[in-house]
Parts: sequence; structure tokens; C-alpha cells
Amino acid sequence: MGRTFDPITLEILWRRLISIVDEADSSVARTAFSSLLRDAHDYTCMFTDRLGRELAQGSFATPGQSGAMALGIKNLVNKYPIDHYQPGDVFITNDPWALAGHLNDVCVMSPIFYKDQLAAFTACVFHHSDIGGRVASDNHDVFEEGLFIPFVKLYDKGVLNESVLDMIRWNVRTRDEVIGDIRSQIAANHVCADKVRQMLEESGLDNLDDLADQIISLTEKSMREEIAKIPDGVYRAEGKIEQMKGKEDIVIRAKVEIKGSDIIVDLDGTSGQVDWGGNVVFNFTFAYVFMAVKSMFAPDIPNNDGCARPIQLFAPEGTVVNCKFPAAVAARMGVGHFLTEVIYRALSDVLPNRVIAGSGGTPAAMNVFYGKRKDGKPWHSVIIRGGGMGAGAANDGNYVYIFPANGANTPVEIFENDTPLIVEKRELLADSGGIGRMKGGLGKRELFRIPDDEYAPIPPVNLGIQAGRFLYPAEGLFDGKSGTKAQFLVNGTPGNSYGLTQLKPGDRVIIDAPGGGGYGNPLEREPEMVARDVIEGYISIESARNDYSVAIDPNTFEINVEETNKLRKIG
Amino acid sequence: MKDNYYRLGCDIGGTFTDFVLLNDHTGEITTGKCLTTPVDPSDAVEEGIRALEVTSPDFVEKLDELIHGTTLVINSIIERKGARTGLITTKGFRDVLEIGREIRYAPYDVFAEFPEPLIPRRYRIEVDERVRSDGTVIKALDPQDAQHAVRALLNMGIESIAVCLLNSFENPAHELMLLEVIEKEAPAVSVSISYHVLPQIKEYERTSTTVTNAYVKPLTGRYLSKLAGRLESIGFKGKLFIMLSSGGVTSVETAARFPVRIIESGPTAAVIAGQYYGKHFNIPEMFCFDMGGTTAKSCLIQKGVAGVVPTFEVGRVQRFMKGSGLTIQVPVVDLMEIGAGGGSIAKVSKLGTLQVGPESSGAAPGPICYGRGGTNPCVTDADLLLGYLDENYFLGGTMKLDKEGARQGIEEKIAKPLGVSFIQAVWGIHDLINETMAAAAKTHIAEKGGNPKIVTISAFGGAGPVHAYGLAKKLGAPRMLIPPNAGVGSAMGFFTAPRAFDLLRSHKVSLTDVAFTEVEDIFRNLEGDAGKILQKEAADDAIRYERSLDMRFVGQGAEINVSVPDGDFTKLARADIRRLFDNVYEKLYGRTYPDSEVEFINFKVRASLPERLLKLPRVKKKTGQSLNDAIKGQRPAYSPIAKAFIPYTVYDRYKLFPGARFQGPAIIEEKESTLIVGEDAGISVDDFGFLWIDLKEVK
Repeated sequence: MGRTFDPITLEILWRRLISIVDEADSSVARTAFSSLLRDAHDYTCMFTDRLGRELAQGSFATPGQSGAMALGIKNLVNKYPIDHYQPGDVFITNDPWALAGHLNDVCVMSPIFYKDQLAAFTACVFHHSDIGGRVASDNHDVFEEGLFIPFVKLYDKGVLNESVLDMIRWNVRTRDEVIGDIRSQIAANHVCADKVRQMLEESGLDNLDDLADQIISLTEKSMREEIAKIPDGVYRAEGKIEQMKGKEDIVIRAKVEIKGSDIIVDLDGTSGQVDWGGNVVFNFTFAYVFMAVKSMFAPDIPNNDGCARPIQLFAPEGTVVNCKFPAAVAARMGVGHFLTEVIYRALSDVLPNRVIAGSGGTPAAMNVFYGKRKDGKPWHSVIIRGGGMGAGAANDGNYVYIFPANGANTPVEIFENDTPLIVEKRELLADSGGIGRMKGGLGKRELFRIPDDEYAPIPPVNLGIQAGRFLYPAEGLFDGKSGTKAQFLVNGTPGNSYGLTQLKPGDRVIIDAPGGGGYGNPLEREPEMVARDVIEGYISIESARNDYSVAIDPNTFEINVEETNKLRKIG
Repeated sequence: MKDNYYRLGCDIGGTFTDFVLLNDHTGEITTGKCLTTPVDPSDAVEEGIRALEVTSPDFVEKLDELIHGTTLVINSIIERKGARTGLITTKGFRDVLEIGREIRYAPYDVFAEFPEPLIPRRYRIEVDERVRSDGTVIKALDPQDAQHAVRALLNMGIESIAVCLLNSFENPAHELMLLEVIEKEAPAVSVSISYHVLPQIKEYERTSTTVTNAYVKPLTGRYLSKLAGRLESIGFKGKLFIMLSSGGVTSVETAARFPVRIIESGPTAAVIAGQYYGKHFNIPEMFCFDMGGTTAKSCLIQKGVAGVVPTFEVGRVQRFMKGSGLTIQVPVVDLMEIGAGGGSIAKVSKLGTLQVGPESSGAAPGPICYGRGGTNPCVTDADLLLGYLDENYFLGGTMKLDKEGARQGIEEKIAKPLGVSFIQAVWGIHDLINETMAAAAKTHIAEKGGNPKIVTISAFGGAGPVHAYGLAKKLGAPRMLIPPNAGVGSAMGFFTAPRAFDLLRSHKVSLTDVAFTEVEDIFRNLEGDAGKILQKEAADDAIRYERSLDMRFVGQGAEINVSVPDGDFTKLARADIRRLFDNVYEKLYGRTYPDSEVEFINFKVRASLPERLLKLPRVKKKTGQSLNDAIKGQRPAYSPIAKAFIPYTVYDRYKLFPGARFQGPAIIEEKESTLIVGEDAGISVDDFGFLWIDLKEVK
């Protein structure tokens, strides 16, 4: 039995661990190159104890990356004997099965030594703007999707292996950006390792073992207390996810069992893996099951290994939620992000106040635009976007967010600087939120135009889309209705929402992000809230009448009480 | 010698209005304090001035300047008491203000709230116009359309109009047309256009900034003219200045045009004071630390210069959660503010550990020991029980503290539930709040490329000197500097702030492609505009211009600010500029990449007038004065080194004299604050009455 920390010392040291990762995290925002990292914060920093158990992660971490990483790093650490790790080593990999589920997510990991002993590991995963390959969702296997970097040493005892960097450099489209971002990863690990050593020295500890034991067990206890509060039982839900034309829907089946303080999620019965990029590796599936559990039971406690311990996940191998190598995985979020919503639905009857309806930002949508300017100069820009969030028991869905993942948009003025395209619209879509006592969040419309004047780029302009909800909208909860669907229109007609689209000067592209699902019976929505939505243009006066049975005077915007009562059959 | 030899600094805070009167002839400084009068802040200003007249009769007529800072603007945003404001924007983009940047600031909290936009959707109107990213016009704005938009807003009873069009920082023609139309159609309506407020790339940030400016413009204007009138009525004939968030001072006319620039005007004063001390004592790295009742604000000052950052947030929905506020993009002193103050509440967290802050009991009911009905144990309660505060000498003895109540509160609410000893609990509260501040300080110092092991900590505020020693130990800082009147001393910053104004323009272009003549033109235009603003204040002084560039590697996210030499830009070589960039980059991030191309993002100019020097008054030792006279006695206080209560010697700060030297453990009391020094540190008093504390090297 090691040293026991009193609750005050424990809190002080724990905070220090978290602030170490936050420091590493904030260094990235300043050193990274690609807009995905700097503007959209699509990266995660964390560190683990010497056994690979996660101790702390950056406060703005993307749930998918962080959840998948926590599991992945632990597996990697335990896969090799301890002498595999030497001071000065830096490892790199983007193995989707080992870490975060697609090739663009590159992990850089370093052991941290203190007093000649292995004390901890620091790691970060960045979503790189390019990793070579064919940029589309409809690849057939992972080989088409780009460069696969196995778990190799980038630095061996402090010596850089230039060949590894060269191998990467010659396999990606945006080499300066990618190499610059890998350097930023190395720097972030450096910051973390330095601070961990400093913290050990200042607090007079030889290693993190006892501290880790206590942090993890306390966190686990707190999670378990919350889980134990809900009645034991088996709760089920299903989610249906569309595929590209001509292919059967994917079905996620979840059986969620609450047994004391354990939560057992069994995905047996889920569709088999598919022949395009929608496959999800086990780690990533775990990440979004974890997101659901964590957000329901303890959203405010810091993340570490202890949070995940009450969760047991079964996902049969060969299914779309635990795919086998060499399945295509580039568009894993198209399926993986739905797991959170399915778990919410399963537990909505026992936890009606802790869940939200389906979200338009599930899955996160990604558009990759690239081509050549009129002078032949190549350009490349990746945009991620969400939709309206699902409503909850006491709140309307927030407008336009990625959920359950996270990330920021790219400013139009930045996009127009980085590309020759013109953005003609970025606006909220009225009437797109699912109706309900609480209204689903609104989706948004973006309209892009390829110039055909003297600014026209050399055709084609390539547009790769990874998105969802073109057929099945975000569902409501408890009599709340669905939000609107996604749309992808090229010159007014539906385009290919899965593959790569080639555009020409003069084309106009509309991309509509879906709305969120509503919550509760729309006829119970306060007429004042309906009227306010009409005044601000979030819903139309027709929707107020037809969907909410609230009559509003089109001139004064006042509620016609008598008529509303009649419509709502009150009195 | 000048007839008008007085200067008055006045900090209108949320609770108190602080005054510092400086006599430039003698260097003598008088301080004062009175309760803020929120309905009409000039009431408190007059009251404070009257009180100062008791000791300095007729000083009002001899006032050369009155410089002030105010929390009025920030409070009106937080409380949503601004004008009914409308927005005119580019067709297709009226929701930019509401969509924001789309990031969820609390990834695992699905119920996290976001701030409501300052302008509801119905008051956001689009005009059919479009400018490309290079400034060329795609669709010209029809003057008729402009007129319709303006009239539509006027019909809705709008009091203030914000105009922000896409890519206007490259070509403001359409914004200027709208400005003209508004001025013609509705001369009484206040207007703010983004090109004037801040011509910087990124539409959400620029719109949010312009809208905030418009939102507070009418009330700021009313407030400033009222204050000016009031001062005139009591015989003030000098110049009235106001502190900018960026650390300069400006005329009331400029403040009324750009109120968004005075949002942080109050807290900035402490930094400016620190900046002055840093220069005066030639301290290479100083960490300025101002801890009050609810928050601690701090700032790293390198070679006497505080960092200025281009953006900050106001009105956070979740206290101190980054991302939960409204984004404002104007230069602001790089202040780090966290929820750590004397009133920070201690409680047992969900996990069964101790938690202190960020919730605060505020001034009312306040900590338990205030005896005003507070029942939550706070940092001040712990400070009292540790022996650091004297229950009979709080605020100079004007407020008696309830020690027994505090003891019971911590015993019942912290020690028992945590299962730790009483003293562990009390020390834990003090130590944990220090830890919180140290963690934030380390990140802040690291971000500026500083080193906590060499900083001198300068402490201000009621609670600053109580916690500075603990903070220094955690940072490994070797030295502390405590100015006289540390409790109100931040208002000294008003006298040392330069009259300065910052302007910038966004224009993205790579170092390889840029024509240096174009750069010179941009700088000259900016200097012309900034000069016009300053000339209104003092035509006689020579204006100094400092040029800088925000630069980055092509495609990189964040820019770094690179100062460029004065004089004609076209005389510089590309290699010189590149070298300047590499130097700064390497200093911040350890290495640079000479093969990667760099680009310019923003062109910046700071115009300033010569600083008015403040002669720090020298203190003289009185004959026969000895250290013994300053000793009030001894009292037991907690020593983290001995892990026990040991006797601390208590000194009266007002009786210390230059040349005095003594060793900790010591408690040095003045009216508004108390300094704690452990047994491993030595204290000396310099010729100006400043206390210097040398800490032994921390293990």
C-alpha cells in the first residue's frame, strides 16, 4: 500500500495535473498550422501514468478523440514490455484500430522519465488536414484512404528519424502544413513532459503511482454513485442510419443494462461492416458510448481512467461498430457519432432530464474543398459543421453545434482568403428545428459559388462531403418531432453526398445542416415562446398555427388568445 | 512653474470609487475612498473630491488632469442595459452574430448555455452588396437600398446602429456609404461602423465587437458628458481623460466614439502602475498580482512593458469558462482574471475533495467573519483563522471580524465532512486558492515566454499581499515588491499611463509577394488616423509612432506580433523582416523554421505622446526612528514550513522607514491590506517606502 493523500493535497496535485495538460493544449493553438487545429480545435492532449491509465486531458478535448485515445494509449502501453520505452523516444502512429479510428488522426506519444524511471506517458492526437489517399467516403478499404503509419519511433533516444518524416512528407498533399503540425505535436508533448517532471520534483514524489490510484478510484466511485441511483434493468434502443444510394440502412442495436453501479452496453445485432468508409473501430465506438454515459452521469468531473471503469462495452467483431482491418474508416463519424444518441434514447425513460433529442450535428459534417486557382496555385480547405442540437426537458436545442463531437466553424472571410470561392450565405434555417414543448435547434444554410469571371479557378473544383441525415432526420423525444434533413444541392439538384463531386465555374452549391429534434408535446409549448420565435423569424407564422396551434396576428405579432384556445381546444 | 500642478486619478469600481491625488510639485500623494453611486457615478466623484479638499484645499482649480477608469461599460453589457441596437450587414449573413464560432465550450455538458446576442434577430437587417476578399466589388451597394435599410431600423425605434459588412476591412466603401446615409437620415442616432471600430479579418469577431460598441455608445456618451459637466460645475478647468483597456489614456471624445475600448478600463490601472514600477526599478520580469474580493487579476510585465492581446471575452455565461462569453476584438492589456478572491467560497466537491472558488460570496453577505449573514466559509475566513488577518484591524479597524463564527463554519462545513483536522482544513483553503492562482500564473507566464523562477511579484488589492508569499513559493519566484498603499495603489497607474491609441488594419499578404510601398502606405494611413485622434488631446507634444506587424507562417493559425523599425518601410530588406520574425518566434516557441514561408496578417500602429513622468516621493527616516517603534507586537500565525502556529512579529507599515531591514516571520499591516512574510524571507524598505521581500530559493 502506497502513500495516501488527504483530500486537500489530493485536490491540489490533481489540479496541477490538469493544468499541465491545459498548458500543452494551449501551446498547440499557437504553434499549429492547419485551420482544423487552430480554428476548429480538432485535437486532444492527454497524459497517463506509467501503466497507461489516463490521468488528465485538455479541457477542450474532442470527445471522440479523447475517449478513443484513452483506450488506445492504454493498449499500446501494455502491448510492449517496459524496456520498449527509453528516455528521448517519441512514437508516432495513425493506426485507426490502435487509436482514433481514421488515418487523419495522427498520434504522437512519448514516455516521460523521472529519476531514470518510467513515470508517465504523454500523447496527443491531431486531426491532420490531409493524409494522402483519395479524399472521399466511398473508398472500399483503408489502403485507398491514405498513408498508414504503424507504431514507429520518430525519435530514438532523442535522435530524429528523418526517414519517417520524409515518408510522410511525400505522401500528403499539404506537406508544410502536415509536417508543421507534427512538429507542433512534438512540442506539445515536450511541454507536458517538462511540467510533469517539474511537478514530481516540487511535490517530492518519485512517481505518479499512488496519486494515480487515488485519483482514478475516487473518480470511479463518484461515477458509480450516480449510476447506482437509477433502477436496475435492461433498456433498449435502435438507431437507423442511411447509406448511399442502393445500400441497406445501417442499424445500431443497443441493449443497455444497469446492474448496480455497472453499465453494460451490448451492441449485438448491429449491422455488419460496410464496403465504404463508415466503419467504426472499437475504440471510437467506445468513445461515443462513453460520451453518453459521462454526459448523463457526471458531466462536470474531470476525465480520467476512473470515469470509464463502470462501463462495459460489447461490440461483436465484424460489425460496423467494431470493424476488422482493412475496412475503410475515413467517414467513421457518420456512424460513430450516432452511438451517443442511441444510448440517450435507451435511457430516456429513466433519465428524462439528462438526455436530449437527436441532434442535427450528429454526425459532424466535413467538407473538403480543393483545386487550383487561375494561376495554377493549389488550394485546399476543410470545413466542419454541425446542426441544431436536440432539445431537452427544460431547454430548446442550441443553434448549430457539432454534437456529440465538437469543433468550430471556419470564418467566411478566412475561407474566402484561402480559396477562390465565394460564400453567398451562412444563415439559420427557419422552421428547421423539430417542434415540441421544447424546440429543436435550428440548422443552417450555406451557399457557395464558384466564380466564373476573371477570378474563376481552373476546373475542376473538388468537393468531398462526409455528412449524414440526408434521408433520416434527427428524431424528437416524448412526442417531440424531428428536425429537418440535410441537403446537398448543386445548381438546385441533389448532388452525391458521399463521393467526390467535381464542380466547375458558375456552379452554386447549397449545403443545409439539419435541425435538431424537439422534446415533448408541441401543444404544451408556452404560446409566448411560440410568439417570440415568430417575431425573431425562427419559425414561420404558419408553423406557429399548424404545428403549435398558436394563432398570431401577422401585423402586430400578438397572440390571438381566443383563437389559440380554440385551436388548442382549451375551455 | 505651472499653476496647475495637481493630478487626480479616480477608479470607479463596482463597490468603491478610489481616489489618488498627486501634487506634482511635492510628489505628495493623498488617497481616498468612497462608495460608488451607480445611478449617477459623478455623485461619488464629487463626494470624493470634496473629501480630498479637506486636506488639500482648492486643489480642484489647480487640477491639470483628471484621469479615470470605470466599470460602467462592462456592467451595462453584463446587465444588458445598453441601447436598443440594430445591425446592418451583408445579404446572407445576418445570423453571423448568433451563429458565432460554433464551438461548445463544455464538451461533456449538453445543457451548457450560450450568451444571447446583444441584438435580437429582428433588428438585424441585410443589404444587397458584396466585396471580395481582395477588396474588389462584386455587387455595388445601391444608395436606395442603404436608405431603406436605415429607415427600416429607425421605424423599429432603434437608438444605435452597428454596420458590419463582409470583407469591409479591405474596402470600406459600402460601410462609409451607410454611415453617410445614417448621418443624413437620423443625425441623432448613434452609429458604429466596423471599419472604424476595428478593420480586422474574421466576420464574427468583427461584428461582435462593432455591435458591442454600438450597444454601449449612447450610454457612455451620456455618462461622459454628465461627468464633464459636473466637474466643470465644481470648478474643474483641466483635461478629462479616460483609461483604455489597452493601457493608454485617451480623451473623453475618443472614448465616446469607441466605448468598446474602455471595457477593461478599471483593472488596467493596476497593470500600468506595475509597468511603471517595473521601469522605475529596472525589473526585467515582474508579475503583477491584484487580488480583491471576487477575482484575482494578474499580468506579466517584461522590461517594464505589459503584453497587449487583440481579443477577450465579456459577460461569460459560465463564470470564467473560456468560450462562454461575447468575443470582443480590441487591444486589451493581457490580464489574466480568475475566480479567486477573499470572498471565494470553500466547499466539499462532489468527489469529496476540497473546492475553493470560483463562486464568491461577494461583498454581501461576504465571508462568515464579516458577520453580515454569510454562512459559507471563504478565503478571508481562513486567512483570519490562520492569524494572517487581525480581527480588530480589518480596514484599519473600521470593521470587526467574527473569528468564532468563521471557526465554526470551517469546522462544520469543511473539516468534519472531509475528515481532516481543523488546521488542515483552514490551511487547505488558503493553500488551494494559492494553487489555483499559481496554476493560472504558470500558464500565463509560459505563454509570454517568461520564467516564473525569476519573476518579481508585485502585489496589489486587499487580498494580494496576504497571498503573495504563498504564490511566490509555489511559483519559485525569488522576490516580491509591495508598493505603499497596496490596497488602493493600483489607481497610481492613472498617472503613469501614456496617452496612446492603437489602430490596425487586416491585409493578408506573403512576405515574398508584398510590395513594400504598399506596406508603407498602409502604415502612413494608420499613422494619419491615429495622429488625428491624439492631436485633439495635446497639439503641442510630439507624437511617437510605433509600427508592428502580426505575422505567421503561411497557413498557420495564430500570429505573433513583430515590431518593425521606425521610418520608411521601403528602405528595409525582406531578409531583415524575416529575421525579426524568426527572432520573436524562436523566443516564444523554442525554434523557428527558416524554410517555411511567412505572411503578414495585420498592420498595427501605436501612436503615443511622451509619458508624463511621475516622481516617486522619497521617504525620509525621522531622527531617532527605530524598528522597535514599528513593532505592534507578536501574534501566532500559521507557518507552512513549521506546519504549526509560530509567533509572527506584527509591524505597522506606516512606521517603517527607508533602510529598515528585518527577517520573517512578519505581518506588516496597513489600512487596506496586510502583508504576510514567512520565516525564510527577508524584508527591506527602500527610499520610496516600497517593501522588498527576498525569498530563499525554493526547493
